[in-house]
Amino acid sequence: MTNLLEVEGLCVHFAGLDALKDVSLNLAPGQILAVIGPNGAGKTTLFNAISGYVRPSAGQVRLKGHDVAGASPHEIARHGIRRTFQNGGLFPAMTVLENVLTGLHAQTEGSFLDVLLGRRRALESEREMIARARELLSLMQMEKMADMRAADLSGGQQRIVEIIRTVASDPPILLLDEPAVGLSPLARDQMMEIIHRMAGEKGVGILLIEHAVELVMAGADRILVMAAGQRIAEGTPQEIREDRAVLEAYLGHA
Amino acid sequence: MMPTQSQLRLRTVLFWLLPVVLLAVPLLVNPYIQFIINSILIYALITLGFNFVIGNLGQLAFANTAFFGIGAYASAIGATSLGLPWLATIPLAGIAGAIGGFLASGAALRGIRFYYLAIITLAFGELMRWLYVHAKSVTGGTDGLSLPRETFLGYSLTDDRVKFYIFLVITVLLFKATLNLLRSQVGRSIMAVRENEVATASLGIPTSRIIVIGFMWSGFVVGCAGSLFALHTSYVFPESFGMLHLIVSFAMVLVGGLGSVLGAVLGAAALTVLPEYLRSFPGMEELFFGLIVIAVLLVLPQGLASLLRRVSPIFIERYYRE
Amino acid sequence: MFLQLSISGLSQGAIYALVALSLTVVYRSTTIVNFGHGDFVMAGAFVSYVLTVMLGIAFLPAALLSVIALFLLGLCFSRGLIRPIRGGPHIGFALMCIAVGFVMRGIARIVWGREVLPMPSVFDMPPIFIGNLIITGDAVFIIGTTAVLLVIFFAVLALTDIGKMVQAVYQSQRGAQLIGINVDRFNDITWGVGAALGAVGGILIAPVSLLHPDIGASFLLKGFAAMTLGGFGSLHGAVIGALMLGVAEQYAGAYINSALIDITAYLVIVIVLLVRPHGLFGRKAVVKV
Repeated sequence: MTNLLEVEGLCVHFAGLDALKDVSLNLAPGQILAVIGPNGAGKTTLFNAISGYVRPSAGQVRLKGHDVAGASPHEIARHGIRRTFQNGGLFPAMTVLENVLTGLHAQTEGSFLDVLLGRRRALESEREMIARARELLSLMQMEKMADMRAADLSGGQQRIVEIIRTVASDPPILLLDEPAVGLSPLARDQMMEIIHRMAGEKGVGILLIEHAVELVMAGADRILVMAAGQRIAEGTPQEIREDRAVLEAYLGHA
Repeated sequence: MMPTQSQLRLRTVLFWLLPVVLLAVPLLVNPYIQFIINSILIYALITLGFNFVIGNLGQLAFANTAFFGIGAYASAIGATSLGLPWLATIPLAGIAGAIGGFLASGAALRGIRFYYLAIITLAFGELMRWLYVHAKSVTGGTDGLSLPRETFLGYSLTDDRVKFYIFLVITVLLFKATLNLLRSQVGRSIMAVRENEVATASLGIPTSRIIVIGFMWSGFVVGCAGSLFALHTSYVFPESFGMLHLIVSFAMVLVGGLGSVLGAVLGAAALTVLPEYLRSFPGMEELFFGLIVIAVLLVLPQGLASLLRRVSPIFIERYYRE
Repeated sequence: MFLQLSISGLSQGAIYALVALSLTVVYRSTTIVNFGHGDFVMAGAFVSYVLTVMLGIAFLPAALLSVIALFLLGLCFSRGLIRPIRGGPHIGFALMCIAVGFVMRGIARIVWGREVLPMPSVFDMPPIFIGNLIITGDAVFIIGTTAVLLVIFFAVLALTDIGKMVQAVYQSQRGAQLIGINVDRFNDITWGVGAALGAVGGILIAPVSLLHPDIGASFLLKGFAAMTLGGFGSLHGAVIGALMLGVAEQYAGAYINSALIDITAYLVIVIVLLVRPHGLFGRKAVVKV
């Protein structure tokens, strides 16, 4: 089974700093790989380099075998990778349903002209997408919020909608940047359950940045520890827990 | 807080009923009012096109007047130098406007955004104005171009009532087409770019291309409006497409409601009458429209459309079609 | 001829430098680009015209009064029209600036009518001759005054406490707030300074060009071209870009085609943005999406 995502010797260098230095990782289908480390360790930079928002100065990124280093974010996304953003990436003035529908963009059929003239192909595809979006919303018990403006939702609800939008197109690879931050414990568990279901049932490979170490220990298959742009350690939660260097520097007093 | 099913059906009915009702207008009004109503239709299209870029796409742009002028000149040149019947120049003007939209926004494909892009559109607008004056052989320079008198199916095209029917059809078609666009993946992508371009790209949507598409559609609509304007005044010359037009456009978009299709009609209807009154005194129009923009920004930033939305959910605009 | 053109280029460039610098000052503190700035510059010229020609006040006091008036105008604009709309979309600021510009233009047009007005020359100083070079009194005055103002400006910025505070705000508004700087008041004053500096540009150019209410658009475009060339947001970039633009216009006009003087600014904008968007000294301008 080929890896979904392969990162080799990734380096990002700007403003005289090594934001990322020689980082490598592999992500297999159905695997949850958590990335942890202190602030400024380069975790989000890693995500940005993989998803195309930052150009790597060296190294390779391969999505399902395709070399994508240096491509633009939307091109990389078309290879089947989706991500969330630390500060939330919802579209505030649009409704929840409209937000989720943008996530189904890749699936929607109909050319510009079809849409313009209101041709059947476009209209039918639109109706299909709306039905699918409503289905996804009801899976998360959010169907009642479909017509609410995203900005009017609570922080936790916004995060859930963002996740729904992100997974709407059934992407094989997910990059989740602190998906549980600001959520109530209940919502957090819900979130982790969603993540596990996607990995287990659909074979989605998930790269997860998370600060809540307990969550990571319990939920991840493997953990990658970063600091100062470099990879410090990688292994199963058990191995990481026992790694002295990691323990001392970053896990604090568990 | 969305319209109910029955309200939605009512809305569709009203959308098509309104133009039918309006067909009676020429029988009821005097020529002066007819002329004003024709102006309103043209301005509604201008505002619709402008709103598409600054309201739906959310990009500050100053090229609207340029698209308008390009369309008007394309139509006038088509009717005079190329000897085309005016009606045939409408799509010509639209396409010319769309090309203008591409030129004004092309820099976006290289990653240019926000203020830089706005400045390029400003430069584009000024460049066009310079062209109208200096490309004398084609545009007639400061003297402008005069449209030949024509008939269509036996009706004289200099008759404002005949113009009204044609303008009405074009306006309804372009409004419907714009609504089709907005209530689809195209429209949602455009607004998504406005809301959060970074997140939009992460969904596989080619944001730079979307920006250009937005400008091109705007150029098409406003270009068509330009051709209507050419017939409306029978005479196209550079001064019509100056700075004044810009503040009037901004005012109409804001008064109607930024990003609202309904607002385009409201803003045009509310403000079209004014230029006619104020034209007599130089400076009054600029002063007045400037003050209107300031007032709207301070007091009713979401425009008249927001007032209507508070009255009934039937006026709420949705961006999907079920 | 080359040197002669350079002198006129520097003279024009000096004015552009004031316009571009004042635009940049406001942009750095508030992240707002004042699309009505050209009309503030026009207003400065207009007020000084009214004071000198219509009310007979001597040039220097009139100039001073004009600068003060525009400073207050900028201040009130920030307080009364910018602050209240802070919660809205960013495009609202741009629209407010444009609208105020049009209001000023309308007022000027109502008072001035359709006339294009000459203003009397400031100095009766005889021109300086150096070999083949003629340096007019006006050029000396413009370049000299601008140079002095720029030196004062950059000196204050780099050396005084106030200057350090300004730099702090430029770095981070939030951070500045945290250390106790009243950012609201700072922004108001910044708008005042921006308007005043722009006014100086208008006042300096008034005696050597024909005034009419629409000159603002031209100043705005030149200011943007200078900022784009020098690197949007860079203070010294704005000045250097402006001087280069002034000189480039003169060369293009003389060596290539006189019609080019008008459109050099547009060409500069388009070329710079396509070839090197961050200009000479600016930071990354292009989005990667």
